[in-house]
Amino acid sequence: MLFNSIEYVIFLPIVVMLFYLLPQRYRWMMLLVASCTFYMWFVPAYILILLGTIIIDYSAGILMEKHADNHKLKKRYFVISIVSTCLVLFVFKYLGFVNDNFVALCQALSLNVNTTVDLILPIGLSFHTFQSMSYVIEVYRGNQKAERNFGIYSLYVMFFPQLVTGPIERPGNLLRQLHEEKKFEYDNISKGFRLIIFGLFIKMVVADNVGAYVDMIYADPGKYSSWDILIGMFFYSFQIYGDFFGYSTIALGSAKLMGFCISDNFNTPYLSKSIAEFWHRWHISLSTWFRDYVYFPLGGSRVKFGRWAYNIMVVFILSGIWHGAAWNFLIWGAAHGLLHIVEKAILNHIPEKENRGRLEKIIVDGFKIAKTFLLVTLFWSIFRATSFANISELFQALFNNFGVTEHLGIESSIWVYLGLFIVMDILLFNSRFDRWCDKRPAVVRWAIYFVLIFMIIACSSVNNFPFIYFQF
Amino acid sequence: MKKLLYKFALLAALLVLMNWIYGKFFFKNDLLKHSDEVQLAWNIAHDSCAMVYTGESSNHTFAWADKDRRKISDFIFDQFPEMRCGDMTKDASHAEVYYYLLKHIPDDSPVETVIVTMNLRSFGYNWIESNLETPIQKQLVLLKDNPPLVNRFKLAFKAYDMSTNAERAEHRVYHRNHDTLVFPYNFEYHTNYEWDYNTNRKGIMNADGTRNQEKTLLAITFIQQYAFQIHDDNPRVKDFDNIVELARQRGWNLIFNILAENTEQAQNLLGNDLVFLMRQNRDYLVNRYGNLENVTVVDNLEAVPDQYFIDRTFTTEHYTEAGRRIIADNVADAVISASPQF
Repeated sequence: MLFNSIEYVIFLPIVVMLFYLLPQRYRWMMLLVASCTFYMWFVPAYILILLGTIIIDYSAGILMEKHADNHKLKKRYFVISIVSTCLVLFVFKYLGFVNDNFVALCQALSLNVNTTVDLILPIGLSFHTFQSMSYVIEVYRGNQKAERNFGIYSLYVMFFPQLVTGPIERPGNLLRQLHEEKKFEYDNISKGFRLIIFGLFIKMVVADNVGAYVDMIYADPGKYSSWDILIGMFFYSFQIYGDFFGYSTIALGSAKLMGFCISDNFNTPYLSKSIAEFWHRWHISLSTWFRDYVYFPLGGSRVKFGRWAYNIMVVFILSGIWHGAAWNFLIWGAAHGLLHIVEKAILNHIPEKENRGRLEKIIVDGFKIAKTFLLVTLFWSIFRATSFANISELFQALFNNFGVTEHLGIESSIWVYLGLFIVMDILLFNSRFDRWCDKRPAVVRWAIYFVLIFMIIACSSVNNFPFIYFQF
Repeated sequence: MKKLLYKFALLAALLVLMNWIYGKFFFKNDLLKHSDEVQLAWNIAHDSCAMVYTGESSNHTFAWADKDRRKISDFIFDQFPEMRCGDMTKDASHAEVYYYLLKHIPDDSPVETVIVTMNLRSFGYNWIESNLETPIQKQLVLLKDNPPLVNRFKLAFKAYDMSTNAERAEHRVYHRNHDTLVFPYNFEYHTNYEWDYNTNRKGIMNADGTRNQEKTLLAITFIQQYAFQIHDDNPRVKDFDNIVELARQRGWNLIFNILAENTEQAQNLLGNDLVFLMRQNRDYLVNRYGNLENVTVVDNLEAVPDQYFIDRTFTTEHYTEAGRRIIADNVADAVISASPQF
């Protein structure tokens, strides 16, 4: 079920009403049924894969706790759980990629190998796999008690607002809340509603409308002028941001309606002054997952520069292939890692000048933000491209098609939507839409609701753009 | 809770205001952008047409050898030189599209006679669940009988039949396998699929006993397209019923034009059985609509001989000039008999 579908518009209010009407002891059951329904709306059979990982990790949690004083046994259960969860991820997400590369290698060596793997990736597999793993790791580390109630543990993995594209939750936050009694509060309904309409606006009005032009550009880059290619690349930066930020905001709002607070996933990433800062602001739940479970165990930053650079590259390459089983994702991740290292190396040698004047600070910060945004946009083109040939065609067109007269024919309304989004994003710097609204007078708030709802209905794209992160 | 109800009431009031703003300032542009066929209905009103012809590709498709390549509707209109006439032709459309287009002809336009194409194939699930149906359904959303904002909401939130091609193929297969064919005599096949499968298996034979693959494929196409029976629950029947009701409300003289199908070819390939079903479906439509007040059904099913059909490897209602003229003459005769002023 898509957040921007009529099914969800009907589904969510029913679930919220049932949630508050039911006594606390039945609520988790209803939410679990709702989450299963939500997930099975896509492809019902996929739920069996989810069930498999839930059973493994639930059992591992209990067994690790039971054998807490037998470290060897505890570790064995931990390893079994992590390996089997990763194995599921590997089989469904990476086996095809590995097989294709193996076949290509064999053919290059004139060996007659022609195996095929044709498995469909279950929706949101990478997200709920990581959420499941975070539970096992926390139990292993002793930071989290093993969940005894199988239903509640299942709900932790399957909680529908964040089931298919996150935010990737930690047991310390979500699992705890699933045990708490949530009372009906007007404030939660109000904030949830605000987040949902804001999320729908950035997904349906901004991301989907610019997405139509991005698709045109990437489908046949050679056809368009250099200027259009550049616009298409910038549009993709806003499409992917609007799409994912929109989804995360609707997820936050949907959970908030029932009183659940799930993690923020974005914090104005395009106002970052460096790649390092960008990753503190973009897909925060994934970045912190890698930080806590990969980067810190590798030694983090409290090591020599060389080792630190290695740690960074490991994290970023893993982050790249987490997104998809393809070389372009790996290169995208590696590029971000490399840039991060270069930035740090430069900063180590050129210390930041202190006591800058206000104007100078604005200019320098503006330059840094523009530089970071340009680099991120450049890397997004690798992320978006369908093949190496597509990337090559895109860049050839970017640098050679100055004389091409074919234009995208961008409607003027697109610039209005984009402009509005950029202004709102700047206003929301280090804040969130629901909190930002709290500080406005009621008239202003309702005027904003009016404009957003009107635009969602009247200005949204009529084309069917699935959420980009669904594929991961 | 009281506060919440108050806020909901405020929201409802804002939605009413939004509907007014949208209807007043945005809806027309959206119609032209997302349901551009509405322009056809507006043209009818703009040209003050008294006679309207609605049709699909059968209306305008011509053979390269045709001397006169005009539409069926033009040949009809030739016979009423005193009348202002117009056509609403949209490829691959069907009765549901015609209904909404006709609805968008303003009440005060001087339309008196409406000729609506009745394509027999459009009642079959091969057409009802064709891959073109999802874009057609999307185009119809804004034309439906709801407040403009509701229609735009449905378009934005994809609240229309947006089945994928795979799902539509599944529906087609389901109907081919499960819709039972009832003959008043013993016939060896009971479903479209059975008939199709066995015809393919046995093949259409040449005189020397060898398989004629070309004819076999054509026979299969005929079975897939025509081996069905129209029942009251057929979605197209509901659409034609709606058109009848609309015509009654507007006081239009309604002419249903059952298009010619290549029954001659069907007879040659498959004998009497498929032609029996085609005639039975024709009879259903004639009986259902032919006796209604202000409704005339023109039966062109067998009016056009085989040589006037353009497409030879597939079943279509595309005719050469001679074929189009036959259809037009029959319809014009019906218009004359149905309208006292002629």
